[in-house]
Amino acid sequence: MNDIDPRTKIVQVLILSTLGLIYNDISVLSLILFAAIVIALINNVNLISTLVKLKRLLKIIVLIALIQSLLTNAGAPVLKIGSLTILTDYGILRALEFILRMVIIIISAAIITTSSSREIIQGLIQWHCPYEIAFMVSVAIRFLPIFKEEMTDMVTAIQLRGIELKKVKLNKKIQVYKYILTPITINSVTKAKELAAAMEMRGFRAYPERTSCMVLKMRAVDYIIIVLSIAAALLLLAQSHSPIYLFLASHKLGIRCE
Amino acid sequence: MNNTIELNNISYKYPKGRKVFDNFSLNLKNGETTVLTGKNGSGKTTLTKLIMGILKPSFGEVKVFGQSTASLSLGSIGEMVGYVFQYPERQLFSTSVVEELTFPLLFKGYNKEETMDKAEEMLEIFDLGKVKNSYPLFLSYGEKRRLAIASVLMIGPKYLILDEPTASLDKERIDALSEVLDKLKKINIGMLIISHNKDFIERHKDKVLALEGVNYE
Amino acid sequence: MNAVEVKNLSFKYNNSEGYVLKDVNFSVRKGETVAIIGQSGCGKSTLCNLICGLIPRLYKGELSGEVLIFGENINRLSISETVSKIGIIFQNPSTQLFSPTIEDELAFGPENLCVEREEICNRIDKILKTMNMEKYRYDNPNNLSGGQQQLVAIASVLMLAPSILICDEIMSWIDDEGKEIIKDVLLKLKEEGKTIIMVDHDYDNIKIADRIFNLR
Repeated sequence: MNDIDPRTKIVQVLILSTLGLIYNDISVLSLILFAAIVIALINNVNLISTLVKLKRLLKIIVLIALIQSLLTNAGAPVLKIGSLTILTDYGILRALEFILRMVIIIISAAIITTSSSREIIQGLIQWHCPYEIAFMVSVAIRFLPIFKEEMTDMVTAIQLRGIELKKVKLNKKIQVYKYILTPITINSVTKAKELAAAMEMRGFRAYPERTSCMVLKMRAVDYIIIVLSIAAALLLLAQSHSPIYLFLASHKLGIRCE
Repeated sequence: MNNTIELNNISYKYPKGRKVFDNFSLNLKNGETTVLTGKNGSGKTTLTKLIMGILKPSFGEVKVFGQSTASLSLGSIGEMVGYVFQYPERQLFSTSVVEELTFPLLFKGYNKEETMDKAEEMLEIFDLGKVKNSYPLFLSYGEKRRLAIASVLMIGPKYLILDEPTASLDKERIDALSEVLDKLKKINIGMLIISHNKDFIERHKDKVLALEGVNYE
Repeated sequence: MNAVEVKNLSFKYNNSEGYVLKDVNFSVRKGETVAIIGQSGCGKSTLCNLICGLIPRLYKGELSGEVLIFGENINRLSISETVSKIGIIFQNPSTQLFSPTIEDELAFGPENLCVEREEICNRIDKILKTMNMEKYRYDNPNNLSGGQQQLVAIASVLMLAPSILICDEIMSWIDDEGKEIIKDVLLKLKEEGKTIIMVDHDYDNIKIADRIFNLR
C-alpha cells in the first residue's frame, strides 16, 4: 500500500484537517478522527510509536485544553469550590473538541510522513508548484537535524562556561539569547553561502526548466481514493447540521432581515 | 587520590540502541596528557561527553576531581574541566575576542578589572593579541581554536578535553597550537586529546587510550 | 591546447583593502594533475573560485587578467557550458549535499541541465558502481560519515562529466581512512585522463600531483 501517490495522501490530509477545523460538534469530530485513524492504518502509519514520540506535545495540548475549559464559564457547573465555579460541562466539551481536533491534525501529519520528502516535493512540482520553493523546503528538511545538533552543542557550551540558563533572571535572559543568536546566525549564513556555491556549480537555474529523474504517476487506486474521499467529505458537509449549511442559511436570513 | 577523572563501571547506549560502553572504567591523572584514538564511531566524542556530564551513563558513576557529576550542574563541571568542541564555531558567542574571554565572568558578577587582567594574560599565552578586537567567528581556524581553548580556561579548570584540535589546520598552525599546549602542560594542566594526527600525538602524549578493545598503554 | 590558463590574474574583494591575488600566471595541460600549495589565507580558495567562474558570477570584486578554459575565456561561457567542463569540490562535505537521498543528490546536476531521465538513471548506476557506493543509494546524507559524504560530493560533480576537476582542500575534515579512499578515487580519475587541480596545505594529500605550484 506504499505505492499510493503522495498527492493522493496530500488530498486526504487536506480534507481531514479542513473538516477537523470547521466542525465543532464532538460526535462529528469523533467520526473524522475515526476516518483519520483508518486512513493512517491503511497507509502503514505506526500510530502508537507516533503518539509516544509526541508525548510532550500531547501533554501541552491537554494542558491548553484544560486551561481553556477552566476559563469557560458557560453551561452547567460540574466542579465547584464554595461559590466559585471551576469547571462547567460546556467547558469540558470544548476541551475535548480541542483535543480531538489536534489529534486529527497530528495523525494527518503522520500520514504525510509516510512518503519521503523527495516524493512529496515531486508531487508538488508536478502540481506546478515553482521548483525553487519546493527545493528550499527540501533543503530545510535536510538541514533540520544538523541545526538541532548545532543548537544543542551551543547551549551546552554556554552552560559549561557558567551561564546556567534556567537560573538566569528575565532581564538578563535577553542578553543570553543575544550570545546564542550570534553563532546561529553566522553559521547559518556561512552554510547558505557554501550551499549556494555548490548548487551554482552544479548548474542550478541554468535553464528555466529542469528534467526530473523521479516521475510520479497517478494510478487507478489513487483516483478512486481521491474521488471517495471527496465524496465522503461532501456527504458530510451536506448534512443539515453542517457548518456550511448553517452559514448559508444565516447568510440568506441576513439578506431577508435587511 | 590523585585521579582527576574517574569513570567507574559505566555503561552507555546510543539513543538508537547500540551499546558503546559496557562496564567501562577509566582513570585519568592530574597533569598528564592522554591521547584518545580510535576509528570513527568507536565512541571517542561520546566518552568525552560522558566525562563532562553532557551525556549521562545508564549505569555507573563519573567522578571529576572527586565529585560525582550526576549531582553537578554543567556550569560547575565547566569550572573543573574545560571542553573544546571539534567545531569551534559552536562555542564562540561574542562580537569581539576580548568579550568572548570575559563575558561569562562579567555576567556572573566577577570584578571587572581582575577579569580584564586575566583576559590580557590569556591573549599573551595564546598569541591572540593582534586580533583582540576582531570578530571571533571571522578568525582563521587556528585562531578560533586557540580562542575556544582560552575562553574555556578563563573559568579556571585544571583539566582540558580537546576534540580533534588539529582538524583542518596546516603545519604552521598546528605548531602554534602545540606551543600553547606545551605552555599549559608546564602549569600542570592535564589533558585528554582526541586526535589522529600521528606527529601531534607523538609530541604531546604521556599515555594513549585506543578505543575498540580498550588498550591502555 | 591547455586545459586551464591563468593570465595575469589579480583580484581584490569589494570590502577588503588588499589584493588577495596579484599577477598570478600558470597553465595546466589536459590530463595533468597540478597541486597548488600555500599557507592559510594566501588566496588558494579565491584562486579556485576564479578558475571555475564562481568569481565573478557569485562573488564580486575587482578582477583583472583572464582565465581560459580550453582556450575560451570563462566569462564567455554559459553556466551549463561551464559546469560541463569544470567541476569543483569544496572543503566541507556537509554543505555540498542538500538532497534527501544520495540518488537524488546525484541526479541534481544533470536534472538542472535538462538531461533526459533515462540518461540520468544510467549515469547514476554507472557512478555508484565505479565508486563502490551502490549500498548508499537510498541513504540520507545525514547518516554518512564525512569521508562518505565527500565521496558523494565527488560523484555528484562527476555526474556532469566535467574534464577538469578542482579540489579545494577536500581532505581537511576527513579522517585517515576516508582520506585513503578519496586519494584512490582521485588516482583513478587521473588515470582516466581527467585534469585535476588540487589545492591543499598538506604535502601528504598531493602525492599524485605531476607538478606543484607554490602560491605566495
